[in-house]
Amino acid sequence: MSFLPKKLNPERDNQQRNILNRKSLYVNKSRGSLYSSEKRVSVIFILPALFLLFFTFVYPLAYSFVLSFFSWNMLVPYKGKVFSGFTNYVGIFQEPAFLYSVRRTFFFVAVSVSVQFILGLGIALLITNPRIKVMGVARTALLIPMMMTPIVIGNLWRIIFHAVYGPINYFLNVLGFSSYTWLSNPQSAMVALIVVEIWWQLPISIFVLAAGIQSLPINIYEAAEVDGSSKLQTFQYLTLPLLKPVVLILLLLQIMDGFRMFDIVYGMTMGGPGSATKILSLLIYRRGLKFFRIGQATAMSWVLLLIVMTIGIFFLFKSQITKGKD
Amino acid sequence: MFIVYKVKKQIYSLVLYVVTGFTCVIVAFPFYWLLITSIKHGKHIFTFPPIFIPLSVSIQSYVDIFQITGILPFFVNSCLISLSSVVLAVFIGSMAAYSLAKTYLSSRVRIALIVFVLLCKMFPSITLIIPYFIIVKSVGLLDTRIALIITYVAHCLPFTIWLMIGFFQDISASIEEAAIMEGCSFWQRFFQVVLPLVLPGLVVTAVFTFMLAWNEFLYASILTSFKAKTLPVVIGTFVGDQYLQWDKMSAMGALMVLPVIIFASFIQRYLIRGMTFGAVKG
Repeated sequence: MSFLPKKLNPERDNQQRNILNRKSLYVNKSRGSLYSSEKRVSVIFILPALFLLFFTFVYPLAYSFVLSFFSWNMLVPYKGKVFSGFTNYVGIFQEPAFLYSVRRTFFFVAVSVSVQFILGLGIALLITNPRIKVMGVARTALLIPMMMTPIVIGNLWRIIFHAVYGPINYFLNVLGFSSYTWLSNPQSAMVALIVVEIWWQLPISIFVLAAGIQSLPINIYEAAEVDGSSKLQTFQYLTLPLLKPVVLILLLLQIMDGFRMFDIVYGMTMGGPGSATKILSLLIYRRGLKFFRIGQATAMSWVLLLIVMTIGIFFLFKSQITKGKD
Repeated sequence: MFIVYKVKKQIYSLVLYVVTGFTCVIVAFPFYWLLITSIKHGKHIFTFPPIFIPLSVSIQSYVDIFQITGILPFFVNSCLISLSSVVLAVFIGSMAAYSLAKTYLSSRVRIALIVFVLLCKMFPSITLIIPYFIIVKSVGLLDTRIALIITYVAHCLPFTIWLMIGFFQDISASIEEAAIMEGCSFWQRFFQVVLPLVLPGLVVTAVFTFMLAWNEFLYASILTSFKAKTLPVVIGTFVGDQYLQWDKMSAMGALMVLPVIIFASFIQRYLIRGMTFGAVKG
């Protein structure tokens, strides 16, 4: 595994460079060697992409960093940006709504990622079980959540969780429970949101883990069987440790997606009831694009960004270490 | 004894099948619910107990969204924007990926660029949207298709590059060596030799890119107000509505989701490969 697998294989690099450096290829290009002209063209090949990425990622990011040190309310006309130092950062960390939102976000990400990992692992083991043959229809069914439009998912689950006409309450009634007002109770709204997030991200967990399981060498399993290890032991001492690199990447992806999640919560609860499901992305959206407190919103964005980046770097570091050990 | 063992085994695999089937049904149920809500008669939507298998079907809600809500221009917008984003993103992305997959640049530069691309993939869009909105506003591109296309192309690029690097590296060096010997220039080699070889990769990448652009809501809702509005934005206006227009909402949702799912089910094997690409080798 790893983020930089074949991509940066030195032997292969040298091999390829040798091809290009061969003397026969140097034959009189007026503007120098073939190699350097190739290099020039290959730089041209990257440039459009770099330019676009710069314009849409780097520049706005830098601009948002600058803005986070200004006090700027776009709704107050004639009162432009005023430099205010760290006021925004100090302010948001003293603001209960922000701290509450951070706590909610961490709760949301932690619960949804862990549950969807466990469920995903279970289903991945199920569909890779050699006893059964999983057909294309089943695969497509399991892929469906990932292909649906997130904003549609939000609206759709609002219907499904509806207190009177929703099928979930109907099933609860059939099973002997009483109906429940899912989306108008602060605690259950969070639960509902987590359920939807799990459902939406499940295909990624399932198929990444299934691909990981299928890429494991079969002979060690035979050896384990010969040695009389039980199913549980095989899973605990063989499958899990071998899957560790895949698991790390998967968790990284899922955590990033958890922090990024916006459309579904926007469609389902809009942060409500109260601010029970107002996770960070929604808070930033409302602060910056509904109330136009640009300074505060950009400061919050940078806090979120730092959280995400710290977690990302931690996982990357961790996965490089496991790679070194192998 | 042997028969008992065999029966036991068959029961075991039967149980596995049942569990798998049950899981699939649960996972696919919300999609089914979307479809049947969109074809139910208006009066059948609000019933208790809910109707799980609609016996009488109507396409009134689909007619309504075109005639009353008038979504045709937004539908056209969505198609135009997504398709042009796909073409541009795949083109620009595969050019960059080719250059990064081969070794003309020093490996240190390549590592830096690949890490940079990866980082771009990780940013939550919400952290970029506020400055981006201000920038687009000051450039005067608010509510234009161009702004959305540029945004989507850029947001698809990291993923496109990431996928395509892998596909380019699967091409054996000797093919390109032969092309060099024949006197192909870099451009010819790329367009006439390499690109046809990675056609499956291009298709997978295009599908993913299309899904990204087609489903995107946040940027579209902020950068457009009327002229360049896309379908997700229209669906977003149903959020928090008190009139319970479930029939229209689900008809629009089905209209968005159905084409993607039908197309994707044909190439699901490749899709799964694309999805698991970064995490698992091959």
